[in-house]
Amino acid sequence: MEPNLASYLALSGILFSIGCVGVIFKRNAIGMFMCIELMLNSVNLTFVAFSRYYGDTTGQLFVFMVMAVAACEAAVGLGIIIAFFRNKVSVDVDDASLMKN
Amino acid sequence: MNTFLLTDLVSPDANLSIIAPELVVAAAGVIVMIVDSFLPGRRSLTGAISLAGLLLAGVMLVSVWSTGPAMAWNGMIVHDGLRVGFSLVFIFVSLMTVLISTIWVEREHVPAGEYHALLLFATFGMMMMSAGNDLVVIFLGLETLSIATYVMAGLRKADLRSNESAMKYFILGSFASAFLLYGMALVYGATGSTAIHVIADRVATPNFPALLLVGGAMMIIGFGFKVALAPFHVWTPDVYEGAPTPITGFMAAGPKAAALAAFIRIFVLGFPLASAGYQAAGYLHEAWISSLSVLAIITIIVGNTAAIMQSNVKRMLAFSSIAHAGYATVGFIGAGLAKTPSGRDEAIASVAFYMLTYAVTNMGAFAIVTLLAEKNDRRTEFEDYNGIGFKSPILSFSLSLFMLSLLGLPLTAGFIGKVLVFRPAIEAGNRLATALVVVAVVGSAVSAYYYLRLIVVMFFRERLTDWRAPAVPAALAAVLVITVAGVLYLGLFSDGLIQRFAGARSAAVAFVEK
Repeated sequence: MEPNLASYLALSGILFSIGCVGVIFKRNAIGMFMCIELMLNSVNLTFVAFSRYYGDTTGQLFVFMVMAVAACEAAVGLGIIIAFFRNKVSVDVDDASLMKN
Repeated sequence: MNTFLLTDLVSPDANLSIIAPELVVAAAGVIVMIVDSFLPGRRSLTGAISLAGLLLAGVMLVSVWSTGPAMAWNGMIVHDGLRVGFSLVFIFVSLMTVLISTIWVEREHVPAGEYHALLLFATFGMMMMSAGNDLVVIFLGLETLSIATYVMAGLRKADLRSNESAMKYFILGSFASAFLLYGMALVYGATGSTAIHVIADRVATPNFPALLLVGGAMMIIGFGFKVALAPFHVWTPDVYEGAPTPITGFMAAGPKAAALAAFIRIFVLGFPLASAGYQAAGYLHEAWISSLSVLAIITIIVGNTAAIMQSNVKRMLAFSSIAHAGYATVGFIGAGLAKTPSGRDEAIASVAFYMLTYAVTNMGAFAIVTLLAEKNDRRTEFEDYNGIGFKSPILSFSLSLFMLSLLGLPLTAGFIGKVLVFRPAIEAGNRLATALVVVAVVGSAVSAYYYLRLIVVMFFRERLTDWRAPAVPAALAAVLVITVAGVLYLGLFSDGLIQRFAGARSAAVAFVEK
C-alpha cells in the first residue's frame, strides 16, 4: 500500500501519544525532556505531511522554526537540569519537592 | 503541486515602521548584552538602557494607538487595538520589573546584564505574540518569551527552590508548547494556511473539519497551560513560589497577558462565528466557547478556594493570579460571543484594560513583597507580615490598597476592570456565559477572605520578634508611587483611558490580501 496523508498523520499521532505518555510517567528529567522532543518531532512530521499534500511551503518553513526552537530549548533546558543536579545530585523530578501545599 | 515563483521571494512587504517598537526593545536587549560584556557589573547602566528602551517603545506605541488596523509583512504582522492595548501592558510590566529588581539584583548578586537582556527579550517575545497575525509568528514570540522566562526563574543558581522552579516551569512549559504546536499543525492541515485572517475565511469550509476541532482542542490545552487555567494550572504555585520574587510578579502579569492576547487573536479573530449555514464553523465556535466557559468556571473556583488555604504570601498571590486569569477569560468569552465587530473589539479592549489594572496592582504588591522578603526570599510567610502595620505605614497601607484592588473594591482599579470584562459576557445573553459571570462574582466575594486576611495580619496581629522597617530605595519608591497612583487613577478617572482602549479597532476578519 502506498503511504498517503492518513498514514503520516496516524504515525505522527502515535509518536505524539508516546511522547505525551512518556512525559507523564517518566520521573527522570532528561527522559521527560527527550519525550518532549519526540512530541515536537511528531508535530514536524504532521507539518511536512500537510505541506506535501497542499504543495505549500509554509509547513516546511514552520518545521525549520520548530527545529531552531527545539535546539534553543535543549540548550536552556539542559542548563537548568544541570543547575538542579549540582545542588541535589539527582535528576529525578520526585526529588524536586521542596514546595508542597 | 503549485509552482514556486521567485517573485514571491522578492516582495516581502517589509514595513519596518510597523514593528519599530518591537525592534527598539530587541535592540535595547542586544545593546545591554554588548555593554555588559565590555563593562561587566554596571547594574545601573544596563538598568538605565533597559528603562530607556522600554520607555521609547511605549511612547512609539502610544503615538500610533488609534491608527490602523494595518497589516504588513505579507499579513504576518498586524497593527490593531489588540496589539497596542496588550503591548502597553507588557511594557508597563517590564518597566516595573526593572525598577523592582534593582534592590533584588543588589541583594542577591545576580548578574544584572544577563538579567536585563533576558527581560528585554522576553518583552520582545510578548510584543510579537500580540502583534503576530500568523501562527508562525505567534509560536516564535511565545518561545522567545518562554525560553527567556525559564532562565529568569532559575537565576538564583545556588538556591534549590529556584532550581526546582525553573525545572518545573521548563518541563511543563515545553510540554504545553508541544500541545499548542500540534494544534497549530492540525489547524494548518485543516485550512491549508497559517495566516489567521485566511484561517478565519476558511473555517466555514475546511478541508478536514474533524482535524480543525481536534486542533482547536489541542490549542486550548496548550494555551490553558500558559494562561494557567485549571486544571492546567498545577505548575503555577510551585513555579511562582520558587522563582525570585520580582520575576514572580513579572510572570503573573506579563506572560499570562501575552498568552491571553495570542489566545484571543487565534480564537476570537481566527475562529469567528460564520454566517449560518456553515455547520463546521458554527460547531467549532460553539465547542470552543462552551469548553472555555467550563474551564473558566473551574479556574475561578479552584483559584479562590486554594488561595484560602495558603500560608505563604507568594503562593497566595499565585492562586490569586489563577483566579484573575479566570476573570479575564470571562471577557474573552464575551468577545467570542459578540455579534457585531464593534462589540467584539470593545470586549477585547476590556480584556486588555483588565490586564492593565491587574498588572498595576500586582506589580505594586510584588514590589512590597520583594522589599520585605530579605535575602533568598526568606520572609514570605503570612507570619512574617504580623504586626508590621503601624511600624511601616507606607508599606502596609499601600499593600492594603493593592489587596483591596485585587479584591475589586469600588474606587480601585480592580473594580473597573472587573465591571468591564463581565459586561460583554452578560450582554451576550448566553446561558453558560451568564452562569460564568455569576460564578465570577461569587468567586470575587470569596476572595475577600484571603485578601483581607493579609490586611488583618498586618494591622491586628502582635509581632513577637524584633522587626525594623526596611529602608525604601528610590527605585522602589518610584514603583510604589506609580502603582498607588495608577490604582487610584484607574479606579476613579479612567474614562478617557477606557475610551482610548475601546476606540482602537481590532483587525477585521475580512481583510483583503494585497
